Amino acid sequence: MATLDLNNISKSFGETQVLYDIQLSIRDKEFVVFVGPSGCGKSTLLRIIAGLEEATSGSVVIDGEDVSLSHPVDRGISMVFQSYALYPHLSVFENIAFPLRVAKMPEAELKERVARAADILQLNDKMKLKPAQLSGGQRQRVAIGRSIVREPKIFLFDEPLSNLDAALRGDMRVELSQLHRDLQATMVYVTHDQIEAMTMADRIVVLNQGRVEQFGTPMELYHHPATKFVASFIGQPNMNFLPAKVTDTDADGLSVKTEDGLQLKIPVETGSASIGENVDIGIRPENITQGPKGLKLNVSVVERLGGTSITYGRTDAGSRICAALDGVANVREGETTELTLDPNDCHVFDASGTVMRRLQAPEISG
Amino acid sequence: MKAPTNAPQTSPKRLSQGAFAWLLIAPAMLFIATIVAWPLAETLRLSFTDTRIGPNFAYVGLENYQDLADSRKFKQTVWRTFYWMFLSVGLKLVLGLIGATLLNAAIPGRALFRILVLPPWVIPIAIGMIGWLWLYNGAFGLLSGVMQYVGIVDKSFEFLAYKQSAFYSAVVADVWVGVPMVTLFFLAAMQGVSRDLYEAAWVDGASRWYRFRRITIPQIMPVIVSMSLLSAIFTFNSFEIIWILTEGGPRSATTTMIIDSYKTAFSSRKFGEGAARTIVIVCLLGIFSVAYIWLLNKVSKHYGTK
Repeated sequence: MATLDLNNISKSFGETQVLYDIQLSIRDKEFVVFVGPSGCGKSTLLRIIAGLEEATSGSVVIDGEDVSLSHPVDRGISMVFQSYALYPHLSVFENIAFPLRVAKMPEAELKERVARAADILQLNDKMKLKPAQLSGGQRQRVAIGRSIVREPKIFLFDEPLSNLDAALRGDMRVELSQLHRDLQATMVYVTHDQIEAMTMADRIVVLNQGRVEQFGTPMELYHHPATKFVASFIGQPNMNFLPAKVTDTDADGLSVKTEDGLQLKIPVETGSASIGENVDIGIRPENITQGPKGLKLNVSVVERLGGTSITYGRTDAGSRICAALDGVANVREGETTELTLDPNDCHVFDASGTVMRRLQAPEISG
Repeated sequence: MKAPTNAPQTSPKRLSQGAFAWLLIAPAMLFIATIVAWPLAETLRLSFTDTRIGPNFAYVGLENYQDLADSRKFKQTVWRTFYWMFLSVGLKLVLGLIGATLLNAAIPGRALFRILVLPPWVIPIAIGMIGWLWLYNGAFGLLSGVMQYVGIVDKSFEFLAYKQSAFYSAVVADVWVGVPMVTLFFLAAMQGVSRDLYEAAWVDGASRWYRFRRITIPQIMPVIVSMSLLSAIFTFNSFEIIWILTEGGPRSATTTMIIDSYKTAFSSRKFGEGAARTIVIVCLLGIFSVAYIWLLNKVSKHYGTK
């Protein structure tokens, strides 16, 4: 059992406030990913959970116990660092055994635990090597091994894959998900890579400028982004935004006219929206298709990926559009094409960037 | 008339690669030959002679070395030199390590402290030693005065007038000069140690001492080894500090090999015997350096820096 609650965490470094009133409840055995652009405070938040930084105000509660002032060991956490922080002068065995040596564990038990960790991470034949003799992925595993042996309640990962090349990163994502299933532990993972967040997380915390923008499952974030920021951060390629004006509101949704003159009736909860208000219509590239009676796009670049053709361009009114069209779509750089948007796929954000909840979004499982 | 077209082409003569390499290092070799190799060879030649002041000398073979081997006094000097070196270097390393650790700590105003350690190293040794002469002075010196005031001694104490106190006083002055450099090198090495290593160890529950012992020391070990050797050579050959304080006295209590060589060659004008003494120094330091390179290699390998 390991639940983690962050209650009203704020953090300032001198005059600079980096975290504002963070309130999160992480469940037992949950894999939670903190994601956000650099400087959003995600690493600081992780370091506060670890005990490497002290919150300016608020409390860290693990399993119902306030551990805000406890040592990391007493908190029952272990941490994997971005740089791996392996001890270059120690062998793989000693690196993994380090936390147990610190705890003065008897040799027999220590060996058994290190061997078990090595088994899980397939490091058995590397135990005598020094970190410098290992590949990036192996070093990563040693760092994880060191965090496993102490059998912590909560694992913390600080951008652990950012030093690996793309292919290896994909493999390690799968391995980490597998590890999470095997260990049945609560994990908190920090990354700036939304793909890592989407693929591994049970739930994602999107942080922006020290505030939680949204906390939800990957599919919630994808289909129901709470803010324009989340909408633009989650999903690849990024969501398109078209400035528009509200022309009518009723119970079925919002009627809008974009700058390009495109009229749409979008099924969302209109809330307090009023006629004439400026809004942003969000549409994901993968929801745009080629078709008549739509948006005219002046195509500037086409990236043919085989299965899809990522098409970039501008509308006549100057909005940038990226559309993930069919692999064999008839688009050419320098020419124009007509695009169709399905109002059911559109998101509407008011002037402050807050979403109007969609009425027609697909059912989400998990 | 035109030359036949099949005549051999006249191209500039090509140097072989080996010759070209030698040509490139020739200036440096010439330089080293002039200021190192030739004086060394000349000293070696001199050590086989009975050269004194005056133009006449004779080759005496190994007689000078034989005399040294037979001399109880010279053996004492050798032991004294090693004792001097190990004591002084040991203190410099220990104090340097402590100093670097303190300067590396997150304390307010540490930039100021980092500057304040420099003076012993920066001011000319002669000036520093004159300061120490006054400190050690019995009649007017601060140390003697304080000791009388506190009641450790009841009358003035001349630090440099007694064999034991003169030796240890010289060690203290030598350590004073040598510590700043050692400290700064250790500090630079400590700052090169990744912060993540300490944080990772801290998260795993390692105490301050444990982190120092298992992270700091191994991480800066190559620098510790390098500084030990450099410091050992400087200390072994440390001349002006002793010469200004005691000129090797009282009754040879502070006479190290380098002082002994100087006194023999220049005070007693026995150039041949003096040269033999310096050759012994060269040999000892040579052995020392080879041992050091071997050790440094081993340490670097062991601590994973290569």
